[in-house]
Amino acid sequence: MIQPRLSLKRNREMSSTDPPTEQEQGPQAPEPRAEESSGSGAANGAGRAKKSAGHQVSITDLHAYYGATEAVKGIGIEFPPNEVTAIIGPSGCGKSTMVRCINRMHEEIPGARAEGRVLLDDQDLYAPEIDVTAVRRLIGMVFQKPNPFPTMSIFDNVASGLRLTGNRGENLRERVHKSLRAVGLWGEVKNRLESPGIGLSGGQQQRLCIARTIAVEPEVILMDEPCSALDPIATLKVEELIDELKEQYTIVIVTHNMQQAARVADSTVFMLDGQVVEHAPTSELFTMPKDERTERYVTGKFG
Amino acid sequence: MSATTESPSPRLLGASPRRKRVNRMMELLSSLAAGLAVAVLVIVVGSVLIKGVSALNLSFLTETPAPFGVAGGGIANSIVGTFLLVVIASAIAVPVGLLIGIHASEFARPRTSNAVKFALDILSGVPTIVTGIFIFGLLVAGHQQSGYDGSVALAIIMLPIVARSAQEVLQLVPNSLREAAVALGIARWRMVLRVVLPTAAGGLITGAVLGVARVAGETAPLLLTSSIASNAVSWNPGQALSSIPVTIFTLSESANPADHARGWAAALVLIVGVLALSVFARSLHERSRRRLRG
Amino acid sequence: MQETRSNYRETLKALERQTLEALDMVVQALDRALEAISYQDVELAGMVVADDDRIDGRYLEVHQGILSLLALQTPVAIDLRIVAALLHVIRHAERMGDQCVNIAKLIPLSGYEAPKDKDLLDAIERMGQLARSQVSQAKQAFAERNSDLAYDLLRQDTEINQLNVAIFNRALAIGDDIETREWAMHMILVARCLERIGDNAVDIGEQTAFVVTGLFREFADASHPG
Repeated sequence: MIQPRLSLKRNREMSSTDPPTEQEQGPQAPEPRAEESSGSGAANGAGRAKKSAGHQVSITDLHAYYGATEAVKGIGIEFPPNEVTAIIGPSGCGKSTMVRCINRMHEEIPGARAEGRVLLDDQDLYAPEIDVTAVRRLIGMVFQKPNPFPTMSIFDNVASGLRLTGNRGENLRERVHKSLRAVGLWGEVKNRLESPGIGLSGGQQQRLCIARTIAVEPEVILMDEPCSALDPIATLKVEELIDELKEQYTIVIVTHNMQQAARVADSTVFMLDGQVVEHAPTSELFTMPKDERTERYVTGKFG
Repeated sequence: MSATTESPSPRLLGASPRRKRVNRMMELLSSLAAGLAVAVLVIVVGSVLIKGVSALNLSFLTETPAPFGVAGGGIANSIVGTFLLVVIASAIAVPVGLLIGIHASEFARPRTSNAVKFALDILSGVPTIVTGIFIFGLLVAGHQQSGYDGSVALAIIMLPIVARSAQEVLQLVPNSLREAAVALGIARWRMVLRVVLPTAAGGLITGAVLGVARVAGETAPLLLTSSIASNAVSWNPGQALSSIPVTIFTLSESANPADHARGWAAALVLIVGVLALSVFARSLHERSRRRLRG
Repeated sequence: MQETRSNYRETLKALERQTLEALDMVVQALDRALEAISYQDVELAGMVVADDDRIDGRYLEVHQGILSLLALQTPVAIDLRIVAALLHVIRHAERMGDQCVNIAKLIPLSGYEAPKDKDLLDAIERMGQLARSQVSQAKQAFAERNSDLAYDLLRQDTEINQLNVAIFNRALAIGDDIETREWAMHMILVARCLERIGDNAVDIGEQTAFVVTGLFREFADASHPG
């Protein structure tokens, strides 16, 4: 499938506000712009194939503000491709804020802003010519409380990302079915695809939301405490799903449950007070943390 | 389970006798108040029913008024007139009101949307006679009365009701839905159109229907803009249209007691119509609330 | 404000205390065994054998306590390393207790008369003291999380190994008297038990280093050169 990476660049003729037009998506002719910072890949003609390797996210010197309050105070993290990275830390440490800066959701809050560099592979997502909605098509997000669209059926929910972002027709049904299979819901819902999405149980709803997210084939999936509202069995199913998904996507998961980070993540970041304290392979962080604050947090001396 | 013969410990005994009395008195008072409200409704509807049913028959609904002095006749022209006036007013006020509500809830900054709420509240508090005079001065003075003028006046009265209710219903849509849509990379206007509006649809329709029910019975603005109308059924809003509220007014001023009975009957028709609309609105509201909670 | 997870911390501290007390029991058993050797005290030897039940019981207690703690509290980081180390330490304590029993059991076999060779006996006593000091030091090092002290255990170990060789050679050259030769053979076995006790103490030192650094390294000693 042709990678719509270059549609990150906004069409020059358009104004900087919404609405973006349909021609954003799909295999358009990529204009090789001279000032592109993204390097070699961009200048190839249309038909640049999707990289079989995974996608990396790098954050450099990120600061995020709510009005005058600084919630993220200069953070740098690398999220390796096709791995699960967990972010742990006490309430208010800035982990959710930081993650929302990756897909530029943070700036949707009135009065909030972010500064710094967030690179998706070699492209800075905060560059001025970048179209924000395109960023979010490449970086999906799953939220704490399952939020399927109440007026849509199961099928329509999964298809909504595709339909409403201008992706017309091309094997819509196939892609919806594929997503449902990928999240393990297919067996449970294949006979009632037209029934309302909200009729499912909590765990199923969350998997539905994940299916909706991956239907648009993002490169990175962000998860903000995805299992907090689920019962233990549903939680385990989602965790297993995360393990399967990482073969195709790079995953970042914010969790306040350390055991979950321990079960699910390849590497873990400990944040405190808007800064990164330690970032290490998960088993190392939980058996031999290097920083004393990490040690005190994971052994439960504070939280 | 064996019962003890000792009295239970003081912790379990609960309220003192005095508190119990106060409780019971408050319950009594509020029941009385509720009963009073229901009673008033029953009395009003009941008296309209009793006084009007005698004149109510099929010909009343399908015939135009009889010439002066002649018995019989009906209010067909007023029914048609009210229908037209309300439809045209809705055609103006509902789309505009919805758009105002959508803007205030989805696109405006919090301060702006509060200002809009405030303005709408004030507008809805303007006495309808004042609205009527305003339209009279603007559109009618120097020209003829017309159904369009009446509709515009009704639309102005309807607008804040529709807009305010739309704004509130839209703000009830959980933000998590908007977040989910935005996170998928869906453009804002699309998100509003395809996610937020459908979710709030029931409530929005309710607001519109409530607005219609309200203006269907407005008399004061119509007196000034669309009251001098012929007795024939007219489908032309370019001329003044007769309407049920104005007809009730006129009939009640008549010297002929038969007209009074017809006035009551007209009132009955109006009440039934408005009640039906309100009940319909409530049932829609219930449905959309259930959906949002799911 | 009370520290969080105080219940858990108390339990962890108690487990460590119980484990280190087992090392105290080992020291006591060793002292008695050595005394029994010096004076051919069969009764004392019998006590050592009987009291080993206490050490075995302590092993089971600690083992069960650790399983419980792992299941219920999911310790991580340094807590987890301590718990893993305690499992090893209590096992080493139990083995050391068994070695003391082995020593005690050798006494009746070597006859009811006084020991025969002063040099050999001195060497055994010296070995015993070294082993005893190793056990004490291992306990102290663990309790203090002192990896330098732990590493120092190698020093005594080297000397123990030298004495072991010396005892063996002395026994070979002890002469023709059958009873003396028999006694000397038993002393070789005693020496071997003492050497094993020393090795276990060094292993406890390795666990101390593991808790402190998070890395497990075998201490270089005579049996693992370099």
